[in-house]
Amino acid sequence: MKPPPFEYTAPTSIPEVVALLQEHDFEAKILAGGQSLMPLLNMRLARPSILIDVARIPDLDYIRATDGSIAIGAMTRQRSVELADTVRTSHPLLYATTMHIAHPQNRNQGTLGGSIAHADPAAEYPALALLLDAEMRAVGPDGERTITATDFFITYLTTSLEAAEVLTEVRLPLLPPRTGWSIQELTRRHGDYALAGVMATITLDGGGQCTEARLVLFGVGATPIRASNAEQMLIGTKPGQTEFVAAAAKASGDLDEPLSDVHASAEYRRDLARVLTRRALAEATANAAGAA
Amino acid sequence: MAIDDRPGITIPNRIEDLPTSQARFIGRTVDRVEDPMLLTGRAEFIDNLSFPGMLHCAILRSPHAHARVVSIDIAEASRAPGVLAVLTGEDCQRWSQPTPTVPEGWGTYCLATDKVRFVGEPVVAIAATNRYLAEDALELITVEYEELPPIVDATKAADANAPLVFEDKGSNVMLQRVFTWGDVDGAFAAAAHVFTETFRWHRLGANPIETFGVISQWDPIENALTCHGSFQSQYHMALARSIVLGLPSNKVRLMSQPHGGSFGGKGGARGTDITALLSRKIGGRPVKWIEDRMEYLAGGSSQSWDRHYEASLALDANGTVTGFKVKLLDDLGATAEGWGAVSAAKPLAAFTGCYAIPVAQYDLTIVATNKLPGSPYRGMGPPPHNFVLESLMDIAARELGIDPADLRRRNYIPKDQFPYTIASGNEYDSGDYDLALDTVLEMSDYQKLRAEQAAARAEGRLLGIGLVNTIEPGVFDWNAYAIVGQPGTGVPEGATVSIDVFGKINVKVGFSLEGQGQYTVLTQVLADYFGVELTDVRVVPCDTLSAPPHFGPGGSRLGVSITGAALGAADLLRQKLIKVAAGLLQTEPANVELMDGKLQITGVPGAEIPLAQVAGAMIARSDLLPPGVDPNAEATYAWTATGRTPADDQGRAKSYLTAANACHVVLVEVDRETGHVEILKYFIADDCGTRLNPANVEGMTQGGVAQGVGAALLEEYCYNEDGQLLTSTFMDYLLPSVYEVPMTEKKALVTPSPFTPLGAKGVGEGAMHTTPAAILCAINDAVAHLGVRATAVPASPHRLWTLLQDAKPGG
Amino acid sequence: MATPRTITLSVNGTTHQVTVEPRTTLVDLLRGDLGLTGTHVGCEHGVCGACTILWNGKAVRSCIMLAVQADGSEVTTVESMAQDGELHPIQQAFMEAHGLQCGFCTPGFLMSISELLTRSPDPTDEEIKDTLGGQICRCTGYQSIFTAVRLAIKKLADARAAGGSA
Repeated sequence: MKPPPFEYTAPTSIPEVVALLQEHDFEAKILAGGQSLMPLLNMRLARPSILIDVARIPDLDYIRATDGSIAIGAMTRQRSVELADTVRTSHPLLYATTMHIAHPQNRNQGTLGGSIAHADPAAEYPALALLLDAEMRAVGPDGERTITATDFFITYLTTSLEAAEVLTEVRLPLLPPRTGWSIQELTRRHGDYALAGVMATITLDGGGQCTEARLVLFGVGATPIRASNAEQMLIGTKPGQTEFVAAAAKASGDLDEPLSDVHASAEYRRDLARVLTRRALAEATANAAGAA
Repeated sequence: MAIDDRPGITIPNRIEDLPTSQARFIGRTVDRVEDPMLLTGRAEFIDNLSFPGMLHCAILRSPHAHARVVSIDIAEASRAPGVLAVLTGEDCQRWSQPTPTVPEGWGTYCLATDKVRFVGEPVVAIAATNRYLAEDALELITVEYEELPPIVDATKAADANAPLVFEDKGSNVMLQRVFTWGDVDGAFAAAAHVFTETFRWHRLGANPIETFGVISQWDPIENALTCHGSFQSQYHMALARSIVLGLPSNKVRLMSQPHGGSFGGKGGARGTDITALLSRKIGGRPVKWIEDRMEYLAGGSSQSWDRHYEASLALDANGTVTGFKVKLLDDLGATAEGWGAVSAAKPLAAFTGCYAIPVAQYDLTIVATNKLPGSPYRGMGPPPHNFVLESLMDIAARELGIDPADLRRRNYIPKDQFPYTIASGNEYDSGDYDLALDTVLEMSDYQKLRAEQAAARAEGRLLGIGLVNTIEPGVFDWNAYAIVGQPGTGVPEGATVSIDVFGKINVKVGFSLEGQGQYTVLTQVLADYFGVELTDVRVVPCDTLSAPPHFGPGGSRLGVSITGAALGAADLLRQKLIKVAAGLLQTEPANVELMDGKLQITGVPGAEIPLAQVAGAMIARSDLLPPGVDPNAEATYAWTATGRTPADDQGRAKSYLTAANACHVVLVEVDRETGHVEILKYFIADDCGTRLNPANVEGMTQGGVAQGVGAALLEEYCYNEDGQLLTSTFMDYLLPSVYEVPMTEKKALVTPSPFTPLGAKGVGEGAMHTTPAAILCAINDAVAHLGVRATAVPASPHRLWTLLQDAKPGG
Repeated sequence: MATPRTITLSVNGTTHQVTVEPRTTLVDLLRGDLGLTGTHVGCEHGVCGACTILWNGKAVRSCIMLAVQADGSEVTTVESMAQDGELHPIQQAFMEAHGLQCGFCTPGFLMSISELLTRSPDPTDEEIKDTLGGQICRCTGYQSIFTAVRLAIKKLADARAAGGSA
C-alpha cells in the first residue's frame, strides 16, 4: 500500500494555486489535511500527476466571528474548530458537529475546507453547510465568487467548484435566537461515517410556534439532502410527536433511492432516515423550548 | 503433591511445593518483563529488521474468484526501475511442491499455476530495491485470465453442477462424516421436548494489529534457508517449508521475531515460500515481505469460521438435557492450507459444554468455495459451537418457562464427578460450575437486572440479559484434530535452563513474544524455584535449530506447557546441583535440598552453599567435583501432557488436558427502531485453576471480551455472488474500539487442575468462547417476546432491523 | 520518477535534512531513512492508529501524511519518551496497569495520550475515551489502558507537585 509516483508542490499564494490548477487541469489534486485523499493514494485509487499542498498558504487558517456568522479559513484544522472558544460559545452546533467527525487524531490533520470540498455525502461538515445555508468562497481564474451550499454539492464527491477553482473560506451562519438543534447518527462504530444521519434546527416563537425548521439528511444519497417539504410541514405548527412523525415520514419518503452497501440496504437507510429525523426534530424542538 | 510425568522428575502441582519457603512471584501480579522493550518501541518486530543487500517483495494478486491463468507477461516489469527478480508459478512448479494441508491434498503452489481460486490469491511476486518500486512494477505485469464461474455459496458447493475448485477432486466436499456418541436416535425418540434451530456464523477473523512479515535468505551454496518472521509456531512452519521447498529439515532455520499479536491468524506460509524462492532466484540476497493490511484482509490468514448450523436439543420432562445434535456445513474457502479445518474438530474437546449430556452427534461437512482459505482464530471453533449450544439452551428455557440460569444449573456436571468424560470423548479435569453461576448471579444482582428489564419493557424499551457458561479446553493436543486428518498425539514444549557462574539464570525457548506474557510467567516460575530476583532470570528465544523441542503459543497451551518445561528442567538441574553440593558439603546427596536459592543440608542450620557457588564449581573447579558429576549447569526438559489417547473411530480422545470454565452475564439494550445494540453491563466469573499471573489472565479475558464483541456485533467478511470481497479495508471490516467494548466486572475463581504444573489451566480463549454467545442470548432475551429470534452472527443493526420488521405489532 | 525534494524537520529534538520522493509517507521516512522503528504500521489507511506520532505537538497518523508535509515541522515519536534510562510516567503507568499485551499498537496509544495529557492534565472520562477511540488495540480490550491513563494522570500530577518537569 504505497502511493503511486506524483509531483508535489507547496505554493504560498492562492493565485499560484489557481495557476497550477489551470496548468494541470484534472491531473492535479489539492492536498489539504489528506485524511480522505491519502488513504486513496496509498490504495492507488487516486492517481494525480501532481499534488498541490495548500497548507503553506498564509491566512487560510482562521476562525472569525463576523456579523451573524462564523467565517472559517479553508485550511483550518477541524481540531482548531473544536478547541476554539468562539465556536463553543457562539456556535455549539458547529462544535457538536465537529465532535462527530472521526477521532482527534484525524481532526488534528483534517481541515474544514477539505471536508467540504471532498463532499463525501456521509460527512458531517457538508451536511452542516447545507443545513445552515453556508457560503463557500472560492477563487478561480476569474477571481473570487461565493457559492451557496444549495448550489455547491452536486453529486457523490463532486462540487460546483470549477477545475481551476480553490475553496478559501466557509461562512457558517449563527443560529437565530430560540433555536434548538440536534444531530442524530447511526454508526456501527463510534467515529465512523454514519449509515444515516440527520441534522435539524427548530426555531420557535414566544408562543412555541415553529417559525423556522431546517432539516438535512446525510449518508443516504449522493449528497447531503435538504428535506424542504418536511421543513414546510413544521412551520406554523406547535410541533409535537404527531408533527415529528409526519415530517419524518415525508423526509424519508421524499428520498430518491438511498445508497445501498454492505452495511445497510437502501430500504434500511430510508427507514433509518425516518427514525433519526423524528428523533432529531423532537430533540431540536425540546432544545428550542429550553433556549427560549 | 507432585505430578510425576517421568521417573525421577518431580513437577509440583501446587505453588506451595516449590523449593521456597514463600513464593514471592508466581501466582501474583508482577510487572511484565516484556514491557520496557515494548513500551519504548525497541522490540524487534519483523519490519524493524533490515539486512545488508535486502530487497523488498510485492505481490500481484488475483482480481477474480475463479479463473484460468492463460498467460502472464512479466517482460516490462522485469525491466522496471529497482526490480531484481520476478517470480511466477512456473518457478514454483520447478522449485517447490504444493503446500501440505489438513485434510490432505487440498493445497496449491504459493503462486497460482493453472488457475486462481480466490480473489487475493498470489499470482506474481517481485523483489525490488524498495517496496514503492516493487508496487510500481506490479502495475506493469499483464495477466490474461479466462474467467470461470465461481462457487461462492457453500450450501450449493456440493450440488452436482457446482463449479469445482479442484477439478481433479471431482467434488468440492473436503470432508463429510457423521460422528455419533451413544444412542442419539433413542434419546431423541424418547425426549419429552426437542428444540431445533438453524444458525449462521459469518466469516470473521483474527486481525492482529501487526500483519505477517518475513525476511528470507536462500544460501545457494549450502542450499539452505534462513527466515526471520512473525511466525506463531516456527517449528511447524520450518518443517512444512522443508517439505514444500525440498530442503533437508536441518537446512531450514526459522527464527520467530516478537510479533504484534496473532490470535491464530498470523499465517505466513505463502509469504515465506514466495520470499524464499525470490531469494533463491536472485542468488541469495535477503528478501523482505511485509503483508499490508489489504493483503491481509483479502489474502492473509484473516478469515475463519464461515458456518451454517442446524442443531437440536432433546430434553426430558424435568428439563434435563438428554441429547444434542449438531449438523455443520463449514465453508473452508479455496484450499485447506491454513489449518482452518481443525477449527471444525476442536469442538469435540468440549462438545456438550458445562452439561452432563449423555449422548451427542456431529454431522460434519467441510466444503471448498472460491473464497479465501480459512485460518485458525482464537478459540478455534468453539465460539460458533457455543453460540449454537447456548442459544438452544435459552430457547429450551424460554419454551419451557424455566429461568435460563435454572435450566443450566439442572444440567451441570456435578463438581464431585471430575475427572469427567464427556460424550465426545474428552476428559474434563476439574470444575465447580455452580460456584461460577452463583458468583456471577450475585455480582450482577441478577434478580435486579430482571426487574430493570421489566421496568424498561413497560416503557417500550428492549433490554435483554444473556447468561452463558462455557468450557475453555486448555492445553491442546494434536489428537483433538484427528477427525479432520491431523496426525499425532502429544505436543512437547521444551525449555533449557542454565545457571552461570554468577548465579544468573538463562532459559532458552523456541517461541517469541506474542502478547500473552509467557516470558514473565517463565521468569516468575524460575525466580521462585531458584530463589532469585526476577531480574536474575533471562528468557532467550532460540531459532528452530537451536531451541529445545517446541510448538509455541496456541490452543491455550503455552502457559501450562512452558511452566511444566521450566519446572522439569529446573528439577533436573536441581538434582545435578545437589550432587555437586553434597560433594562440596561432604555429605550424601540425599541429605541436601534446594531451598530459597541455597543448597543446604536438611535440618542443619548454616550448612549451606549459595547457588552461584555450586554452579561456579561446576564450571570452573572440576577438581572439587565428585567423580562422575556432569559439569554442565544446564538441563533441558520437554513437557507434554500425559495420558493422552489416540482418537477412536468416532474421533473420541482424551485430548485437551484442562477444562477452564466461565459464566458471563451481560445486559444489552436493542434499539427497536434501528436495530442497534448497546452493551450496558457485563459481569464475568471465571475459573482457570491456579492463576500464575492474575493480571495476565485478566488481560486475556478482557481482550477476549473485546474480540467477542467484534464477533457478536461488528466483524464480518462479506463476499458478493462473484466472490469479490466487499470488506477489504478497516473502514468496512470493523474492529471494536473503546466505545464498543464494555468495561467488565470480573471475579476470579480457583479450582486447581489435579493434572498440571502448579494446578494451572489453559486460558486465553475463554472469553472469546463465551462473549458472542452471551451477547446473542441477551439480544434474544430482549426481543423474544416480539416473536422473533436472532440466529446469525454478527447481529449487525441491519440484520436486527430486518428481523424486527417481522416483530409482532405492539409487542 | 517524480522530482525528489529536500526537506528539513526536527525529530525528537534532532534536526534532519533528508531528500525524499514526494510520495514517501512520513512513517516510512521515520522508520526507514531515520531508523526510528518504534512507530509501527498497522493499516496504512489511517484507521488503526498504530503509526500515531506528534506533529507539532498534535497526534496524527503518520501513514496518511507525506514526509514533505512535515517539512519545517517538529515531529515527536515514542523514542523521545524514556529519558536517562527511566520510563516516562505514562509508560510506567502502562506497565503497572498492564495496559499492553503484544505492544504493537502501544507507541501510537502513548503518543495520543501524551497529547491529551499535555493539553488537558486532568481530563474527563469522555475526553479520555475520545482520545482512545482513535486507537485500535486488538489485545487488551481497553479496560487496562483506561486504567493506565488514569494512573498516568496521577503520576504526572505527583511529579508536578514534587516540582519535577515530567
